[in-house]
Amino acid sequence: MIDFKNVVKTYPNGTVALKGISVHIDDGEFVFIVGHSGAGKTTLTKLLLCEEKPTSGNLIVGDYDLSRIPNYKIPHYRRGLGVVFQDFRLLPNKTVYENVAFAMRVVGTAPGKIRRRVPAILNTVNLADKNNSFPDEISGGEQQRVALARALANNPNVIIADEPTGNIDPQMSLEIMNLLMKINKLGKTVIVVTHERELVNYYKQRVIMIKDGVIVEDKLGGTYE
Amino acid sequence: MRRYNPFYFIAEALKSLKRNGVMTFASIAVLMSCLVVVGGFFLLVYNIDVNLENFGVMNKIEVFSEFDASPAELEKLEKDIRALDNVADVIHTTKEQRLAAIKETYQAYEDITDEENPLSDSFEVTYSDNSKVPDLVHQLNSLEGVRKINNRYDLAKKIENFKHTVMMIFIWFLAILFVVSLFIIVNTIKLALSSRKKEIEIMRYVGASKWFITLPFIIEGILIGAVSGVLSFFIVKAVYSVVTKQMADVLQMLIVVDFNTIGTPLVFAFLGIGILTGIIGSFISITKHLNT
Repeated sequence: MIDFKNVVKTYPNGTVALKGISVHIDDGEFVFIVGHSGAGKTTLTKLLLCEEKPTSGNLIVGDYDLSRIPNYKIPHYRRGLGVVFQDFRLLPNKTVYENVAFAMRVVGTAPGKIRRRVPAILNTVNLADKNNSFPDEISGGEQQRVALARALANNPNVIIADEPTGNIDPQMSLEIMNLLMKINKLGKTVIVVTHERELVNYYKQRVIMIKDGVIVEDKLGGTYE
Repeated sequence: MRRYNPFYFIAEALKSLKRNGVMTFASIAVLMSCLVVVGGFFLLVYNIDVNLENFGVMNKIEVFSEFDASPAELEKLEKDIRALDNVADVIHTTKEQRLAAIKETYQAYEDITDEENPLSDSFEVTYSDNSKVPDLVHQLNSLEGVRKINNRYDLAKKIENFKHTVMMIFIWFLAILFVVSLFIIVNTIKLALSSRKKEIEIMRYVGASKWFITLPFIIEGILIGAVSGVLSFFIVKAVYSVVTKQMADVLQMLIVVDFNTIGTPLVFAFLGIGILTGIIGSFISITKHLNT
């Protein structure tokens, strides 16, 4: 469960990025967050990733109150999230397998569990045959699928995808979106931050539109016009 | 249960040191130079201290009586000396005893008879308080029947002053070189942090704890410090051995401390200072360049 209650975010330079946002996202929902550049989407993502804290208001994600979370608890909170970025952020000197395993190893997962789980996740994202490839040896769409596999590695409850199709061609974009839908069907909450109208309109999921730091529309089966 | 392989941290630190080879070399070279200079000063000061202690044994004043002093006058003089403040002990040596001792040492004087004895009686005065020596010398000089006084207080004082100067230079060197070493280590770790920026970012997003992210960098600092400590120990040992051998003739009047007697505490001190500098450098860099 994700609950924004009158969340305001003002940056030190005085910019008010979010002006009292209130929104509730249930477990297992699929949500598009849309809006133009500068609307407040990035700030909202940063709040969810706990990179920033709200200036006022409450932000609850699962058992964590992100408005008051102490720094030492942030890593624990983040283990419940899976993040996918527009630029993939893969480690170029590690293979596909190692990139996914890395996410598990750094949170102290037992080697045996890593060996069992990584091939299964790579299978989920249809990359079982690319185990030993390096990121620069695979396509953009495949790189994003590796990033998705890495996001799933620690079995998070929430997946946040920040412009996941921004750097890949339309065909691959559909493939990534289909995978995100598939992950959602497995019971995960999926939040996709995007400004790509075609995709949003194609999938007809819940759409939350932000404009100038305010939610201007929140519609189930909505579109982005 | 979460399991972390300790070798992972060491391997990461070693990889990073290798990746930033030039800066690693610079850090070790600077910290090592610092420790060699510090070690050199320490050995100098330690040797001075040992020799000063030795002078302390000789911190006695020798009082010579008049040549023609009668036994009664000599007895009175000894009594007067004993009555003075700051006198711990007095040993009276007759002129006959002194001549016998000289004859024993120098064969050339074997033929001198007691009648030809050119010496006078002497009193070896041991004092208890160094700071009151000038007063004691003044009092002894004003006693009746005293012909001459010998004391090594001035020499001891000069050596003490020299030691003080060396200590001051030592402290300043230590401070300056420590700051320079820290600066280089901070930059080495900063470079390591920036070369692993992407990796650190991913670690943070997937929920790696802060200590998991920072530990390899702390180990990196420790390794730089430890390597510098060990290398500087061997350099100091070699240089000390060469210098003491080369200057054996000049130093024969002085006590030269055997390196082996202080080797163990010195290697631990070098390791300790090196590792501590490495840890502090890493912490400064991490705090400055790694946001939570």
